[in-house]
Amino acid sequence: MMLSRDGVSGLVCLAISVILLTQTFGLPPATIVPIGPAFYPRVVLSILMLLSVILIVLDFRTVRTAAAPAAAPAAGPPSNYRLVLATFIEFGLYILLLPPLGFRIATFVFVLSLQATLEWPRSSKHWLLAIAVAAATSLICYLVFQDYLSLLLPRGTWSGM
Amino acid sequence: MNHYELLFTHMGTVLHMQYLVPLLVGTIAGVIGGALPGVTITMTVIVVLPFTFGLDPLQGLAAMIGVYVGGSAGGSITASLIGIPGTPSAVATTFDGFPMTKKGEAGRSVWVGVWSAFIGGALGGLCLIELTGPFASLALAFGPWEFFSLFVFALSMVAGLVGRSVTKGLVGPDPILGVQRFTMGIHQLEGGFDFLPVLIGIFAFAQLMPDVEQIRSGERQIAANAPRQISLKVSHLSVFWDILCRPFILLWCTFIGVVVGVLPAIGGSAANIMAYDQAKKFSKRPEKFGTGIPEGIMASESSNSANVAGSLMMIMAFGIPGDAVTAVMMGALTIHGIQPGPLFISQQPKIAYGIYAAYLLALPLMVAVIWAGSGAWMRIIMMPKSMLIPIVLVLCVIGAYALGNSMKDVYVLAIFCVIGYAMVKARIPLAPLILGVVLGDQIEANLIQAVSTDANPWLFVTRPISGAMLTASILSIGLAVWQHRRETKRRAAAAEEEDTDF
Repeated sequence: MMLSRDGVSGLVCLAISVILLTQTFGLPPATIVPIGPAFYPRVVLSILMLLSVILIVLDFRTVRTAAAPAAAPAAGPPSNYRLVLATFIEFGLYILLLPPLGFRIATFVFVLSLQATLEWPRSSKHWLLAIAVAAATSLICYLVFQDYLSLLLPRGTWSGM
Repeated sequence: MNHYELLFTHMGTVLHMQYLVPLLVGTIAGVIGGALPGVTITMTVIVVLPFTFGLDPLQGLAAMIGVYVGGSAGGSITASLIGIPGTPSAVATTFDGFPMTKKGEAGRSVWVGVWSAFIGGALGGLCLIELTGPFASLALAFGPWEFFSLFVFALSMVAGLVGRSVTKGLVGPDPILGVQRFTMGIHQLEGGFDFLPVLIGIFAFAQLMPDVEQIRSGERQIAANAPRQISLKVSHLSVFWDILCRPFILLWCTFIGVVVGVLPAIGGSAANIMAYDQAKKFSKRPEKFGTGIPEGIMASESSNSANVAGSLMMIMAFGIPGDAVTAVMMGALTIHGIQPGPLFISQQPKIAYGIYAAYLLALPLMVAVIWAGSGAWMRIIMMPKSMLIPIVLVLCVIGAYALGNSMKDVYVLAIFCVIGYAMVKARIPLAPLILGVVLGDQIEANLIQAVSTDANPWLFVTRPISGAMLTASILSIGLAVWQHRRETKRRAAAAEEEDTDF
């Protein structure tokens, strides 16, 4: 029997609460104050566990008792999960490459590549615009934060920039 | 100096360029962020956040208040012009704003919204100035039992949704002895998670990715259907008459906005719908709602704007954020070592009165910004998401990095980006998460403090305020369960009816 999103969320929360609850037994007992470091996590995790079980049971009952209504027709255009995945990957790479490349280079590359991923520039004019946006984002952010607001941005260990 | 003398003195201070410029820039950013479909006020305030780190606390707060006030009104521009709410708090504005635009009254539609937001915001500001002090005095009478119960009540308002976020507060050292919990041997988790990278991460991807999902279809469709230029010219006197000849709706909806703002984690998205519903119920012509009448726009926008004042009141008096935007403000204050709460006004009068002054000055600035940009709004609304999203993500990374000049916070941001998107896909609302993130630690600290002062656990129930809060919490949860069951039954009945039709 397939669970709905609620049921799956309940299962995930249940798993998290059980794992963390078992870890609370390794915490030291109370010494100075009446309740120790394990007390509050146990209360919260027990409530979370209980709510997760209720969510799973309710979901299971709803799924079983519902007379399998036909899925509602999807409203609006279909979701483009490839683009979401690409955005996650590019964002992850940006974060990983920030320390070696430095803020200016990494930001320029990230902004340009993500713009191209989200909407491929169809002409040289669009490419120029995308490059200008990437360069402006990188340089303006650097100047505003580093020079005006005195916030240090990552300097590249490889690039020295 | 009395209350209002202090207020006027601080208004003079905020009018100095060093505060006025951040306030104006924040208002412009807020109006633009609010007007851009898919970019919420929370997202805009997160984008502005890193710029405030290098400023003094009042400058930073002025910028954020500008965003908050500007964003609340900015959402109505999009709602009125293209029928898509710029922010969730402008949903009800679309019901009458867009039909009015379709009737050829775009200027009237936008300006009824803007002036209603201005008046509602000003009335809300009066409540903010008059009621924050008494609320703070009430909060001063609270002991750890009352605070514990208040926080439990705040969480119960969003019952069933906070579990995962409360557990977030469990990672890292416990608040009394500093014993490490759930760090899984990872050295970087020993300090716990900072609040702001978590918040930025959760909101950044949760709010941007749904736009990315639709970027190649929905956006172009909107862009293709929307006109490029709409004239917003209107007689402002007739707009004022539209609003002021309906004083009851204005006052009642403003009141609803303030009250909803005071209630934790509900925010403007609920206030505008509730106010619209109330305006319809009290109207002599409810059948006209949804056809493009000014009452609908007024109800939504006045409550939405007054909601800002309610949220600010709650954070200043109790240290509890009314919504995600005030949660970010609270985070920004704590970076500067300032803790909002009952002692905030007495210990930080310059900042407290500066907040009042910035709020009141942001209202006319908001009107001026919308007026000045009236020829460009359609172009701004249609700004391509492919250009906007990378810039917003870069600013999110800067916001996280600049907190401690370390990549650790950026990695935390990345982790919570994934969690935030997963939550959106699991249809878990984000607003309640904020309360869990903010209050998780404080609940534990107050619980331990209460039990250390007096080990009798019955004090949580027998102390009048604490007992009342816990009773209200149980009632709140009971009400949520009852509403859920009623809704499920109604859906089942509707489904059965549909079946019998076949």
